Amino acid sequence: MQQHTLRITAQDQPTVLERLLQVTRYRGFIVTGMTMFPSVDESVLDIELTVQSDKSIDHLHHQLNKLIDVSEISVNESDALKCRA
Amino acid sequence: MVSKKPQTGGAVLFNVLQQHGVEHVFGYPGGAIMPIYDALYDSDIKHFLCRHEQGASFSAIGYARASQKVGVCLATSGPGATNLITGLADALSDSIPVVAITGQVAMASMGSDAFQEIDIFGLSLACTKHSFQVRDVNELAGILHQAFAIALEGRQGPVLVDIPKDIQSALVDEPVDNVCIAKPTLVNPEDNFLLKNEPANVGTALALFNQAKKPVLYVGGGVGMADAVTELREFISVTGIPSVSTLKGLGAVEPTDKCYLGMLGMHGTKAANLAVQQCDLLIAVGARFDDRVTGKLAEFAPNAKIIHFDIDQAEINKRRKVDVSILGDLKVNLPALAIPLSIQEWYGECQHMRESFAWRYDHPGENIFAPALLKEISSTMAKNTVITTDVGQHQMWSAQHMSFDHPTNFLTSGGMGTMGFGLPAAIGAQISRPDDMVIAVTGDGSFMMNVQELSTIKRFQLPVKIVLIDNSKLGMVRQWQDLFFDGRLSETDLSDNPDFVMLANAFDIKSKVITKKEQVSAAINEMLTHDGAYLLQVKIDATDNVWPLVPPNTANDKMMEST
Ligand SMILES: Cc1ncc(C[n+]2csc(CCOP(=O)(O)OP(=O)(O)O)c2C)c(N)n1
Ligand SMILES: [Mg+2]
Repeated sequence: MQQHTLRITAQDQPTVLERLLQVTRYRGFIVTGMTMFPSVDESVLDIELTVQSDKSIDHLHHQLNKLIDVSEISVNESDALKCRA
Repeated sequence: MVSKKPQTGGAVLFNVLQQHGVEHVFGYPGGAIMPIYDALYDSDIKHFLCRHEQGASFSAIGYARASQKVGVCLATSGPGATNLITGLADALSDSIPVVAITGQVAMASMGSDAFQEIDIFGLSLACTKHSFQVRDVNELAGILHQAFAIALEGRQGPVLVDIPKDIQSALVDEPVDNVCIAKPTLVNPEDNFLLKNEPANVGTALALFNQAKKPVLYVGGGVGMADAVTELREFISVTGIPSVSTLKGLGAVEPTDKCYLGMLGMHGTKAANLAVQQCDLLIAVGARFDDRVTGKLAEFAPNAKIIHFDIDQAEINKRRKVDVSILGDLKVNLPALAIPLSIQEWYGECQHMRESFAWRYDHPGENIFAPALLKEISSTMAKNTVITTDVGQHQMWSAQHMSFDHPTNFLTSGGMGTMGFGLPAAIGAQISRPDDMVIAVTGDGSFMMNVQELSTIKRFQLPVKIVLIDNSKLGMVRQWQDLFFDGRLSETDLSDNPDFVMLANAFDIKSKVITKKEQVSAAINEMLTHDGAYLLQVKIDATDNVWPLVPPNTANDKMMEST
């Protein structure tokens, strides 16, 4: 199983985390870590989401990108590492 | 007009709907949406009272699909809202622009397990494109504008707006008028979904296209959604490419095109499936390689390179790796690849398949053969008749044996396959297109799933025609039990169906039952010329099957053609 880190910039809506987690689970990824950084501009949230799956990260990347509240998303390739499990 | 009177959230709702050109809404009232229904009382918008919120949601879908406008439905909190869920799922799956408005308990009660409180926002996450919960009446208008923009932009879909009861009656600081605005403003024009297509991809696609000896065009529902039927037909006429269609794509290609091979996939035509299995280039246009289309994915179009036109980047490489993708609006992008091809030999082969595997309608005995009846309706009905279907054998027979000259004339639940879709969708279609005939082709199982909507037909005197294909079975499931479960017919018998003619009559709907081939032509004629609603019950053999059928997890060229 591959582990990947996604960097996400989203509208700071009370609901955005729920949406991110719902899509992530539905598309077959397990969350192994999540950190949030409220940005200087309070309306925006920076999120680092670490996920694990045997599916291609591109699928999740594109599905999360469709969320209306997500304004930017990138896969941090250097973080990709092979899990032991 | 902006009135001097203080404006409530409810009034704002209907004014904004009017700004978006909404004339008709479908709904059902209840406690937590009463201030909205009170505002409706003063509005010019016409409300159609359905008899179940699921009916309202499907009518909104039928309305949207037949007219290419946004469909709107309303429901109260709790059970009203949950009754919309199936419709929202259906709209999400088939990318239909619907705006659903739900009442919610007052803000002060939210989160307290109040009477008829359900977290509809939470429920909506998996079955809408986006959803909102309004928390300030002064934000309502802006949220509604966004809801319309999101429903329509890029890949279309359903949007839910949940409005607490106190917000519905609260007064806004700035009243809004009800003057129709030209176009909804995009939420954020910068992240426009209409991605610019990359010139390099167009170059690669053109090269692939030029090299192809056996190309096939695989047409999906996206063509109709993008309003690109004209562009598609132009593309076919310039390139001379053989084409196949998905269930939702039916109507996009001119049915008389000499190299149009019909629907592909599980119940596709032999010609369509064989051509796709043999092709060396498959051009998918607004289609998503759905499992009902591909059969065993690893063996789908095994020799083909793939060019994929779509507006949704997430569909690219989702199920099948593509060679080139052309992202964006089909209306703009299709013409970019329209070049004349020299594929005479392949064209000839496809045309030959179209002719030699054409449908046959010989059917021994006196009993009615549903495919022949549906074909006869299709060739007798007026141009621009809208057909809706329910789900099952009758649906597949309609897709196979009826022809449509536009996707807005064939409304069927594709992605979800939702029984109960046909009747309320026909109601929505009839309301959006009062001058066109609307015929719901339904099954004896599906019809009962939203049968209460006969009341809506009665109330609004809608001239909807209903063709009920009655095999006294949940036929499609029965067929699978016979073929793949050793004939163990578990819970698919409906031989104790109600008297459908009497049922129709109870709603003042004229009705007739036919059982023999010799009755078919006269009955069709009577139904089509009847001024008003009509239910034609057509009894058929319980054992008739839909052919061809590609068994589960099988390549599409290994279809069964009979038992
Ligand atoms: C809401 C819903 N429940 C169950 C099914 C599964 N299902 C698919 S087809 C079918 C039988 C439909 O029977 P009928 O409407 O009589 O159509 P027929 O196949 O007999 O033409 C069933 C139960 C479904 N598609 N939708
Ligand atoms: Mg049936």
